[in-house]
Amino acid sequence: MLGLSGEKGFSFLKAKGRRLVGRNQWPGDSRFKGWFYLFPGLAIYLIFVLYPIFETIRTSFYQWDGFSANRVFIGIENYRNLLADGQFFKAISHNLIFLVFYSLIPILIGITLASLIGRKPLPGMAFFRTGLFLPQVLSMVVVGVMWRWIYNPAFGPLNLFLRSVGLDLLARSWLGDFKLALPAVGIVGSWVQYGFCMVLFIAGMQKIPQMLYEAAELDGAGSFQQMLHITLPGLHAEFSVAFITTVVAALRVFDLVFVTTRGGPGDETLVAAFLIYRSAFQQNQIGYAAAVATVLTVIIFLISFFILELQAKEES
Amino acid sequence: MRKTYALFSFVLILALLAACQPAATPPLAATKAPSAPEATKAVEPTVETPASKTTLVVWDQFYRGVESEVIDQLNQEFEEAHPGVTVERVSKVQEDLATTVKLALSQADGPDVAQVNQGRSDMGALVQADLLLSLNDYASKYGWGKRFSSSVSSRNSFTADGKFFGEGNLYGVSPTAEVVGVYYNKGIFKENGWEIPATFADFEQLLANIKAKGITPIVFGDLDGWPGIHEFSSVQHVLVDSEYINDFTYAVNNVSFDTEANREAAGIMQEWVEQGYFTDGFMGIGYDDSAQLFKAGDGALMITGSWLSGELTTDTDLEFGFFLMPQQTADKPQLAIGGVGIPYSIRKTTQNPDLAAEYLDWMVSERAAQLWAEASFVPAMPLPATFSVKEGSLFADTVKAWDKINKDNGVGHYIDWATPTFYDTINAELQKLFGLEIDPAAFAKNVEKDYGAFLASQK
Repeated sequence: MLGLSGEKGFSFLKAKGRRLVGRNQWPGDSRFKGWFYLFPGLAIYLIFVLYPIFETIRTSFYQWDGFSANRVFIGIENYRNLLADGQFFKAISHNLIFLVFYSLIPILIGITLASLIGRKPLPGMAFFRTGLFLPQVLSMVVVGVMWRWIYNPAFGPLNLFLRSVGLDLLARSWLGDFKLALPAVGIVGSWVQYGFCMVLFIAGMQKIPQMLYEAAELDGAGSFQQMLHITLPGLHAEFSVAFITTVVAALRVFDLVFVTTRGGPGDETLVAAFLIYRSAFQQNQIGYAAAVATVLTVIIFLISFFILELQAKEES
Repeated sequence: MRKTYALFSFVLILALLAACQPAATPPLAATKAPSAPEATKAVEPTVETPASKTTLVVWDQFYRGVESEVIDQLNQEFEEAHPGVTVERVSKVQEDLATTVKLALSQADGPDVAQVNQGRSDMGALVQADLLLSLNDYASKYGWGKRFSSSVSSRNSFTADGKFFGEGNLYGVSPTAEVVGVYYNKGIFKENGWEIPATFADFEQLLANIKAKGITPIVFGDLDGWPGIHEFSSVQHVLVDSEYINDFTYAVNNVSFDTEANREAAGIMQEWVEQGYFTDGFMGIGYDDSAQLFKAGDGALMITGSWLSGELTTDTDLEFGFFLMPQQTADKPQLAIGGVGIPYSIRKTTQNPDLAAEYLDWMVSERAAQLWAEASFVPAMPLPATFSVKEGSLFADTVKAWDKINKDNGVGHYIDWATPTFYDTINAELQKLFGLEIDPAAFAKNVEKDYGAFLASQK
């Protein structure tokens, strides 16, 4: 019906070898009925997702300040400027570095914590699980303000702690340091994201049959081997969900940078989304901002697509 | 059966499409609604203004406690003097206001009066889009020329095409004045027998003396970026003349940023960093935090604007004073960063331009001056003759400073108005300069790249 059900379609649209769409129709039944079921969701999707995306792409071909009637079509000029803009590439490179902090580190921490507290019920586990998940629940602005205070070189607890244990040499002006600002903001991202990964993995572990572990134990497998051969393969689907959500979060990060450093010092923490904000609202270049947004969307789309494909291939 | 489905879904589509249309408008229209319940006030007989019920929508950024009270008081008095008129006030944080007001002013039901920041990316862009009302006629009607010097008025002026800044039509009036100078901790000064320096050389000597005592000479935090502009430009204003800073800000007479004086000012900044004259770790400290440190007595001096004086006189036992950054010689006319606060402008398509202009006049009246002064803010208009400033107070210092730069014709500029992208450029380059990532020559060159490109685009 939607033309995606062919044998050569993308792997992730076929669930376990069965096609998701098409076929189960009675002869002579109207195809119109299907659209009727689709309509409410489709309408909302059209109005609130597809139309804004279309408008953004369209705007990226114009020179426009965002409020005047004076909107000039300039073709691909915005994209050409973008390729000549060193700041754009710098911003994207920072987003890529954030992949480590937003995606890799949280997943590693998440799986470690999950393997510690996820398998067997321990006393006080609900407390730890809640406590460890807390950063994920906080608003990003609150997180940003809090960490700005923690990192404050004059009265922030981090430097106070370092000084109190005699590590004065390590005390830095974290968010204002040209080399440390990016990792400093990144670590805040890790702190926010790991709770989500942990809960995801704990949930995944609970659906792995206990008998697998028992059988492995009988065969003499230690807990590390159990982890390697039972837990990790069993969490396959959870891993790809964790990857996609955290990778997308890394690529579109804005709030944390806005609250903590505003892209500074210099442009050491400039990220694509902040560049969009700055061009659109401070410099009145909506067209250029739309071009950056379009490129960012394409990058996010491609990476998510790649991860989904990879997972589907491995599964089949 | 099939046909009923088809019909039903067709009707549903129509209904949904119809529902989408008006949904976008009501929130905006709703802002105008509350004019009705004001009927009781219309009984009072005052002549001048129309007795019919009118709502004046005003967007401002006086959201801090003390400022907000001044505005509420003025609005209340305005309503009492204009029966039937309701002032509907929408107060926002400056950044919120700046990002939303442009689009709002392009709407037929946008605010009648709004505070619009000076400079090219705000007021300039709005004038270019033909969204602001020229105030020339009202200026002569209300005699604003007598209240504000031409140097002040040019800050709120653009040519009608929005291209040239500092000349042409008047598009706003500012109620408050601002001057950037040096705050000092009176207790620390007294204890060590230090005096207010008379020349810039004395000032640098003072910094060395303070440092030798183990006290932080200048409290500073550059995490937010913009405070660095004031630090650098305060010294820049000592080294250049007012003609240069005017030409530079208004982008006339082809001046450059890559000059001997600017490089020298940048060099002095790096020297101060190397000498440890700024707060330890200043690159990672925000402006508000640095102000709190200074207020708590953690440092002898702080270079910032007169807007901080209200904050420094409340909830503290310490006493602070204010002086202008000393010039190279004591007899040289004073030049310092300064100007007027964010001005009120009128939306071009407003239904009530005369009433809006009357409101603007109200905000820069003698009564307004008095209320601002009582709240320790330096008003942009002359203080009423009856108002006496308490000798020796911090407010007296800032008023004196404002009078001095006006008398010497030395009201400088916020250089970040120079081009639409200058604020972001200079913030980033100054952070690199303060972080000792680049030398003064590279700093001046990088900033000039932005400025030169803008000058070229103006031609």
